[in-house]
Amino acid sequence: MGKPNDPEFQKKVIRAAFELLEASRGPVIEDFPEIIPVKEGRMGYALPPELVLSVSDIGDVDVILSEVGNEMEALRPDYAAAIAARGRTTVGASGLAIEEFAPFVASFLDGQIPKSPRKGMPAIPLLKLVVEDLEAYYTETRTHRDSIDDLELMGEWFWEKTKAGRLLLLLEAVSLASKNKVMLQIVEMSLMAPRFWSEGPLPGTSAAGW
Amino acid sequence: MPAVGRRFMSNLELTVPTNYSWTKPVPANERRVSIVSTAAVSRRGDKPFSWLAKDSRTIHKTDRDLVMTHVAVEFDRSAWQQDLNTIIPLDRLEEMAADGEIASVADEHYSFMGAADPVTMEKSARAVAAQMKEEGVNTVFLIPI
Repeated sequence: MGKPNDPEFQKKVIRAAFELLEASRGPVIEDFPEIIPVKEGRMGYALPPELVLSVSDIGDVDVILSEVGNEMEALRPDYAAAIAARGRTTVGASGLAIEEFAPFVASFLDGQIPKSPRKGMPAIPLLKLVVEDLEAYYTETRTHRDSIDDLELMGEWFWEKTKAGRLLLLLEAVSLASKNKVMLQIVEMSLMAPRFWSEGPLPGTSAAGW
Repeated sequence: MPAVGRRFMSNLELTVPTNYSWTKPVPANERRVSIVSTAAVSRRGDKPFSWLAKDSRTIHKTDRDLVMTHVAVEFDRSAWQQDLNTIIPLDRLEEMAADGEIASVADEHYSFMGAADPVTMEKSARAVAAQMKEEGVNTVFLIPI
């Protein structure tokens, strides 16, 4: 729906859509004439296929949690500034507090499915929401702080450079080795880490879900 | 397009409507507009959408504290994070109503899980349509994601 924070462009898109109602017959399908470029037809960042971790990379979970916690704490003032500027945040779909995101994700790293802390929602669907909350915390902060409007740059930073991204890649490794069908499905179908637009499926999977 | 995405998309079936009616719209300045989004957006605290949800969520025109629980992670969400009007353009429609381009913005707007098969949503879609009729909506703005 156009570009963020560009009301005139957004209204141009809406007006173009509404003008289609004036057609004398239908159905009608039209392309909006202005194209917002994306890389190689992708609508989101794609992890490089060679960037895959294994369960042997996990090491000391407490160290991982400490690193992610420090990283998140360092971002907190800018996250607060982003909320103040936008008047809203999309973080929080999971219903967990920000401090709970990383510990909940890490609780899967031993290969067991933990008990869900949210009543009425099983642990694995909750995990997916927490993963997205965690990423949103980082990306909302940086889009505001550094005015980044480049999905490739943002994805590369979060997934390849941050400790939180590494935590999620370790979770992916655990999922891949899991005997739990749903855990395996969420990596097979690229429902957790962005592999859908990658050049080939995640190694060790057939991408059969797609 | 990379192989995984290409294979998935090339296997999708294109639905071709065969039994439709083409209704003459009301004049633009008489439109009362309601949005239907497939972005699985809902009010904070609402029940999150399940992965293949058939149901819908209702968003009031004044709601701005919205979250997204769409199952797919492959689409860029940074625009939505920066400006909800990229998904649910409530502010833009309000401005267009204030300028007289449309008559009014409906009180209620609706969201579905776009990853689910629309055929399974018929019951919910009919319920939404009934609510729209009750509210006097004469124009529906479908915004896929």
